[in-house]
Amino acid sequence: MDRATVERVARAAHIKLTEDELRRYSDDLNDILTYFELLDEAPECDASGVNPVEVADVLRDDEPHMDIDPDLLLRDMDTYERYIRGPRLS
Amino acid sequence: MTMRDVLSGLKETNARYSMFHSMTDDVDPGDAKFLFSAKDNLTSKDMETCAGSKILIGYRPAFDAAAISKMRDAGGKLIGKCNMDEFGFGTFSYNSGLEIPRNPYDLERACGGSSGGSACAAAVFEGHVSLGVSTGGSICCPASFCGVYGIAPTYGRVSRYGLIDYGNSLDKIGIISADAGDLRRYIRVIAGKDPRDPTSCVQPELRDEGRKMRSVAVPKEGIEGLSKEVEAAFKESLESLKGMGLDVEYVEMPSLKYAMPAYYVLATSEASTNLARYVGMRYGQQEGDHSLKFDDYFSSFRSEYFGDEAKRRILLGTYTRMAGFRDRYYAKALKVRQVVIRDYKRVLADHDAVLAPTMPFTAPRFDDISKMSALDSYKADYLTVPANIAGTPHMSAPCGYDSNGMPIGMQFVADHWNEEVLFDIAERWQRSFEARRPEVKA
Repeated sequence: MDRATVERVARAAHIKLTEDELRRYSDDLNDILTYFELLDEAPECDASGVNPVEVADVLRDDEPHMDIDPDLLLRDMDTYERYIRGPRLS
Repeated sequence: MTMRDVLSGLKETNARYSMFHSMTDDVDPGDAKFLFSAKDNLTSKDMETCAGSKILIGYRPAFDAAAISKMRDAGGKLIGKCNMDEFGFGTFSYNSGLEIPRNPYDLERACGGSSGGSACAAAVFEGHVSLGVSTGGSICCPASFCGVYGIAPTYGRVSRYGLIDYGNSLDKIGIISADAGDLRRYIRVIAGKDPRDPTSCVQPELRDEGRKMRSVAVPKEGIEGLSKEVEAAFKESLESLKGMGLDVEYVEMPSLKYAMPAYYVLATSEASTNLARYVGMRYGQQEGDHSLKFDDYFSSFRSEYFGDEAKRRILLGTYTRMAGFRDRYYAKALKVRQVVIRDYKRVLADHDAVLAPTMPFTAPRFDDISKMSALDSYKADYLTVPANIAGTPHMSAPCGYDSNGMPIGMQFVADHWNEEVLFDIAERWQRSFEARRPEVKA
């Protein structure tokens, strides 16, 4: 992975890297991706799925209820008039 | 040692071993039936929860994780939240933004990871049980390095509600204890369906029908690359198992070599999305400059407070999910997982468990760990990763000691939902293997 790619990935991940980090992660990720080439020779399989055990449709009923007191959730949040504070959008 | 003794000496003991990031101030156990601790990626109402990360300093959850809640309901008193690799990203509990636990057999060595603090507590406090979490080996590895028993049950056996996710398709909550009987005792407590975690709702009932482990398969691939002392202790243990009446057969499991790269693709892909929520809002660190633009504000927290390994895994996982690379890495890794599962099913059709050493070496010294590359560290997990990617239950039992007195472990892997044979062999093995205890000082 070249330096420009690492920069592009870091931007997508919302991480600013120092010069030293850029150099180190480029080297490390190259080593790791080279190792991942082992996957190219792995046997193919007709099965897939995102979980190791079959997870059938087990969604619960969509009924509104209050699990946790909102004031408790807001207790340690940075808020303004019970709204969570965040950065400006533009 | 009574519960009161443990509580009254808790802070002094922790000063020596660094097993807890936060702990109770209580010295009176009240009407508690037992004391327990929990890995610090399980939310707890009464203690800060940081998952080993600076970015979560100050996070006081409003709710207990399901596993902690069940342990409390069973009469347990939570005494501490255990140090760990940041978000579970490591093999030695060395990649922590907070404190690094020290091995009770040698303070200059690691406890293993990422549930290192949990294994340390289980080794240090008599009669103690700790909740660990395994994604790629994070229960069995530290159990092996600290000379205790550890079980990661089948994926989905224990509700993940309240777990700070690393890899959703890999994370499993389990038990670590010096007493093999605790594995059966406390998996029974924390297992069960929970509508707040749909993956837990597909499980069959935990069986307890007295089924015994009668045969084990030793994969040729699982006994390569071992240190001489681990190899010798494992071979001696195989003879002991034969003496206990178990059949031992050597087999080939060619898929195991692909489990490692597939695991790191899946784990980092999932981690990079899970960690997208840590942006300096809602919990943990929130003291930011609100005049910054949206992206700059988020990036400022993530750049400052994520540790080295967290950044590395976020970058790797973001890359392997990017358009143009997804099929080569993520989609292929999902298929490889199925190949590994089929390989286990093939062998487990004729045997009760697959058996190999838990780790290829004993607990390394911190100065040696600091010299390891990221890839070297990843490769150390080659024995624990396959069972984790397959979601099969697995258990590490102490099986020997090296010339420095450091513990050696062996790992049994059973079929999905078949924890019962692991309980059985752990209990029988404990009766035949004389485990040591570390010399504990406060």
